[in-house]
Amino acid sequence: MATTRAFARLATRRIGTDTFCSSTRLNCSYTNTRPAAVQPAIFARGLASVTDSAAREPISKVGEKIVPDPARKPIPESKTSTVKEPEPGKDAKIKTFHIYRWNPDEPTSKPKMQTYTLDLNKTGPMMLDALIRIKNEIDPTLTFRRSCREGICGSCAMNIDGVNTLACLCRIPTDTAKESRIYPLPHMYIVKDLVPDMTLFYKQYRSVKPYLQRDTPSPDGREYRQSKAERRKLDGLYECILCACCSTSCPSYWWNQEEYLGPAILLQSYRWIADSRDEKTAERQDALNNSMSLYRCHTILNCSRTCPKGLNPALAIAEIKKSMAFT
Amino acid sequence: MASIVRPGLLRQACQTPTASQRMLSTFTSSSIKRSSPLAQQLRPAFVRSAIPKSARIAAFHATQRQQILPPLPQKIQGTLNQPVPVPDPSPVHGSYHWSFERLVSAGLIPLTMAPFAAGSLNPVTDSILCALLVIHSHIGFEACIIDYIPKKRIPTIHTISMWALRAGTLVLGVALYSFETNDVGITEAVSKLWHA
Repeated sequence: MATTRAFARLATRRIGTDTFCSSTRLNCSYTNTRPAAVQPAIFARGLASVTDSAAREPISKVGEKIVPDPARKPIPESKTSTVKEPEPGKDAKIKTFHIYRWNPDEPTSKPKMQTYTLDLNKTGPMMLDALIRIKNEIDPTLTFRRSCREGICGSCAMNIDGVNTLACLCRIPTDTAKESRIYPLPHMYIVKDLVPDMTLFYKQYRSVKPYLQRDTPSPDGREYRQSKAERRKLDGLYECILCACCSTSCPSYWWNQEEYLGPAILLQSYRWIADSRDEKTAERQDALNNSMSLYRCHTILNCSRTCPKGLNPALAIAEIKKSMAFT
Repeated sequence: MASIVRPGLLRQACQTPTASQRMLSTFTSSSIKRSSPLAQQLRPAFVRSAIPKSARIAAFHATQRQQILPPLPQKIQGTLNQPVPVPDPSPVHGSYHWSFERLVSAGLIPLTMAPFAAGSLNPVTDSILCALLVIHSHIGFEACIIDYIPKKRIPTIHTISMWALRAGTLVLGVALYSFETNDVGITEAVSKLWHA
């Protein structure tokens, strides 16, 4: 009897923890009312105590309650206000957007998730249209970068529904039951709201010398020429717009941003290594030939998966590694 | 030892009204809260889980949760118009290292297959397989340390873990050597386990 009850309790417990993984700040009261999780006998010692008896319950979660960790999670949308569509029409398709907000003018306040609802009938098809409409009509304090609205400038790179992509190339899912979440690029320092600080990224780009380096003039004194086959090697490389979607999706780049160059910069480096007109190939390779700059790539392939332009940075990195092997 | 146990025992005794109730507490789920620590250890795990939270707190976890590597304030070296510093080329940690790593990984595949495909055991291939396994695991763990224990942030812990890895690799090498010379060798051990 006791056995079956304990198993039933165990089952409900499992479900409870699974559903509450996503929001760490909500579940404190929840876990206190529940029976404790089954632990291996070796850890369940009844020996000593600290004053705070809640401290050992699912360790990371209650720890969060004791030491609120300002750098980790934004205030969830359930605790912030919702800004509604100003005047919804009769058959409005109301879609909910949760957008990451942080204002540098209030440095002590935590980042928060702000909720906006929009009528999709009055909004353009892309995420950027939704953002622009929010800024124009609902909340002018929302801050994001945008320029070309057609996927060629790379300004509006952000994390939409868990994928790094360009807001202008990302359609709003028409399923209004699903709520969209928009974050800035992950693991970047944030300037404001959806604007990440790209200083390091551009400094890294500068370090690969992204321009033609030649000492000899062209044979006929005119422009530097390429065969069609040589030019074809640059296809899939020159299209990169440096939006940093790939670099900020790369776990290696998250951990070692200061030293590892990241897929976008390595793809650009390969663009000049592969260029037949460039004469400093060896120097370019030497600049990458150390433990950190190139070889922190472990072929995770997040970069190729997320690239909004459909390029393959992982292939470019593999080509660099191959060209440098056994030399 | 007794001094560690005592506070827990004392508290349990205070919570317990009578000794006679405690006697049967192992078998009645209603009186779980009033059982002694010894009884807690003796009953099955899923019942033991229901003991009061205050009694399950271990003695040595008095500190609170800490992030392992919290993000630092951003620091930009040089001006905005200067490139990040380019490290000096060191092929030993770069291209040679990578090529060697790939050779070892590729070599492991036939060495793992060959003894079973051929159906016979050769001590030479067995010892090469052992040596490559040691190298392969060393390189793999080394990459983990470089990634997750960055030298730039925590140089001391980085160095300590590197030396710990080297010690571990040495122990593994000696252990495999003695297993190869004094026992049956790993290929034979695997096939025995397979047929066991």
